[in-house]
Amino acid sequence: MTGNSEITLSKVASGRVNGPARLSGPVLRYFRLVDYPLIALSTAIIVVIGLLVLPPIWTLIRTSFANTMPNLSTAGFTLDHYINLVTGRNLAVSAVNSIGFATCATALSLIIGGILAWLIERTDAPLKGLAYVTTIVSLGTPYILYVTAWLYLLGRAGPFNDLYRTWIDPTSTPFNVNSLTGMILIEGFLWSPLVFLLLSSTFRAANADMEEAARMSGASILDTIRLISIKLARPALLALALFVFIRNIEAFEVPALVGMPGRVDVLTTELYKSIKEVPPRIGYASAFSVVMLIIVGALLLLYGRISKQAERYASITGKGFRPRPFALGRGRWIAGFVILVNFAIVLALPISAILWTSLMPFVRPMRWVALGTTTIKHYEAVVSSPYYLGLALNTLVVSAATATVVMLLALVAGWLAARRKPGAAMIDQLITMPLVFPGLVLGIALLEIGLRLPIPIYGTLWLIGLAFVIRYMPYGMRYAYSGVMQIHSELEQAASVSGANIRESLRLIVGPLLIPALTSGWLFIFLIAAKEMSLPLLLAGPSSQTISVAMFDLWANGQGGEVAALGLMWVTFMTIVATIFYRVARRLSLTSFGH
Amino acid sequence: MRFPQALLRAATAAVVVTTAIPPTSGQTIDSSLIEAAKKEGEVVWYTTLVVTQIVRPLVQAFEKKYPGIKVSYTAAPFQEVATRIVNEGRAANVKGDLFDGGATFYPINAAGFAAPYKPAAAAAYPAEFKDPNGFWTANIVQVVSPAINTDLVPANDAPRALNDLLDPKWRGRMAWTDAPSAGGPPGFIGAILLTLGKEKGMEFLTKLAEQRIANIPSNQRVVLDQNIGGQYPLVLCIYNYHAAISASQGAPVQWLKVLPILTFGTVGMVKNGPHPNATKLFIEFMLSEEGQKIHAEAGYIPAHPNVPAKSPELKPEIGKYEYKLVSPEMYNANSAEWTSIYKKLFQ
Repeated sequence: MTGNSEITLSKVASGRVNGPARLSGPVLRYFRLVDYPLIALSTAIIVVIGLLVLPPIWTLIRTSFANTMPNLSTAGFTLDHYINLVTGRNLAVSAVNSIGFATCATALSLIIGGILAWLIERTDAPLKGLAYVTTIVSLGTPYILYVTAWLYLLGRAGPFNDLYRTWIDPTSTPFNVNSLTGMILIEGFLWSPLVFLLLSSTFRAANADMEEAARMSGASILDTIRLISIKLARPALLALALFVFIRNIEAFEVPALVGMPGRVDVLTTELYKSIKEVPPRIGYASAFSVVMLIIVGALLLLYGRISKQAERYASITGKGFRPRPFALGRGRWIAGFVILVNFAIVLALPISAILWTSLMPFVRPMRWVALGTTTIKHYEAVVSSPYYLGLALNTLVVSAATATVVMLLALVAGWLAARRKPGAAMIDQLITMPLVFPGLVLGIALLEIGLRLPIPIYGTLWLIGLAFVIRYMPYGMRYAYSGVMQIHSELEQAASVSGANIRESLRLIVGPLLIPALTSGWLFIFLIAAKEMSLPLLLAGPSSQTISVAMFDLWANGQGGEVAALGLMWVTFMTIVATIFYRVARRLSLTSFGH
Repeated sequence: MRFPQALLRAATAAVVVTTAIPPTSGQTIDSSLIEAAKKEGEVVWYTTLVVTQIVRPLVQAFEKKYPGIKVSYTAAPFQEVATRIVNEGRAANVKGDLFDGGATFYPINAAGFAAPYKPAAAAAYPAEFKDPNGFWTANIVQVVSPAINTDLVPANDAPRALNDLLDPKWRGRMAWTDAPSAGGPPGFIGAILLTLGKEKGMEFLTKLAEQRIANIPSNQRVVLDQNIGGQYPLVLCIYNYHAAISASQGAPVQWLKVLPILTFGTVGMVKNGPHPNATKLFIEFMLSEEGQKIHAEAGYIPAHPNVPAKSPELKPEIGKYEYKLVSPEMYNANSAEWTSIYKKLFQ
């Protein structure tokens, strides 16, 4: 029992937290009904998040109820956009497709990410490093490359259908990627790294005592997982499932790229078309987002009710703990196999397709005869363009800054919300709202804000950073929130009793114990911001171009090989950066958790 | 339709003009324009062109020719370019000077943020390639056509006429972009209606819709790549110069002279842009023979009548093929009708 939370507690007890342990005052303060510093903190956070979120929300609502003029200003009042939402073709079919798509893709991400996270964090499974590499590399891979790679692999001329034709039936195409199944598979693969990172921080910070007790009382491994591990992670799992589900319902990249050619309509198909028109029908897109906003709000309220009892699940208590890996025994090789399969599907296959594209003079099927035409000219083109270096630097700066700001905000907001402090519900609602913004709607709102602000941030990295912070706050919040859920509030109560103020207990207790969650969140946002395309395409000025703008430019103009080469070099670079960061964070985590 | 008389006349006129004045168009530029441009020192170009292929070579050549004038650029699809310029104009905080792209001009103009300029360098251009009021001038020609994957489609199976597209063997094996432009399905529908007339045209389109053409939510180039990659043996509405570039690298692709549609990209000035003189100078450079040769070298079809394409037969006058003109302006005037047919029949 030499766990480090004990040390944290002993820090508190030994007075390393400011001020001697005066008993009467702090105890009184803890039980006092009105806690002024806390209210001040809540208010400050609400104001900050409100300033970030409400202006675009206001634009969204205004646009959804007004006619859009040719100069993209809004005028008058109309319900047309909402009427169009309801009278759109095949509403019933697309709604059923949407729910089926979102549910199955969420389940797939949860199963892949969840199993992997549990194996890595709670067991003595082999090949753990491989699971992290899989996650980081696949998160760092730009969407267009990832989705295009899967479209290629599963496509009619892709290796799977090709092999089937070669060996079994030369006339048939057994798998049609442009289907609901194709959409579910690709979307499920895309978001499994999010689940993995989120759950791995949850599992890492979970107390192993109960699992051990169950095992000692004779429970089988499966029973232990079912009755203890999953139950303990339930609030986190539920929040995560809800989050991924919302993300999938409003996703339109995969439904458009994968489903549209096969005429699979989901609710967002029309949304995608509306923003590609000229001028974009932003009224329609906004109305859709407003409806999503209301649905998300309702789901969050529901979730709030369920998780009120979440204290029961917190397993990091004042007692020292050290989660020990679960001995799988003979199951180890199965675990290793699972990790290997995940690596093959989520990473090796799409990356090999990208590598193939980058080495071919033009797009062509994977055949032995094509190997003769292998070329490195795409790599030469990338290396001989020094201008990519500047873009890479811009991208690194803006992504790292975004991740840092978001996780700092999320630390405080997540703590206030998870602890049901004053204003908790409002904070959670506000910070989650940007989740439903289509990139273009947020982009247009920010164009306008950037152009009208008295400080000249238009066309600079600052504006892109601001847009990124708004867009990725919801993700950071989920990481911090589920992290705080794990920590029993008795630790903070003890700190408070010992005379610590809020700042001290956040800095010395909550912060360090949240390091796994904050690290995972930072990494996720850093990687996902670096590949974001829709916002920089609209907001980047001549001196604030990012690497994703360059990739889109090349991709949209048929430089598929060069995009693949640039993409692979970029992913390699991002993986190195992320690994260094991860090592450092892991070391920090070591001092808090001792493992 | 045969090669239009106006174009022919313009082409012959161009020969006369270029023999009358010295061929280096740089000499025709007013030195006061150059001075004023140098004072401004910068042009901000919002472009839809490919940075590595054409934007950077153009910028480098211009900056070398006119030291002291920097060209800053931002690349994005035409929808984003238009949205950005319109927002800047509405906020009365204009940063961009210059834009390009086929359909970019119309939303900008509808919002009142385009400015006229008649480039001297375009004097020899055919009338169809210039706005009479100077609001836009063509910089590149785009010929939109079908293409086949030659590995999958033997030469004698390739469609030769429009009706061949209705052959049941193509059912479910064709694709095109979903681009809302003259080079996309609405432009194709327009060309059909203009060629066959309303009634016969609609009859043809209704039959074509039964072929279930896949709508690829991306541009012409990506669709062509799916053709080359073997996903769809026959694709419609691709740019013939893309097919030529790929074929020259060994890709199994051939563009077809089945209702080739001629359209073009344009350049235009932003109203109240911060650097009007440098912008004019840059437009002059882009449209001059010197600038147009850079376009040709990058694989585009130059709009300048005296500058041949890298593969000269891509231009109708040299490749000797009939085409249908669907200019961005014709598209803009009819897009509501053509788009609604597209949505009704093909989506």
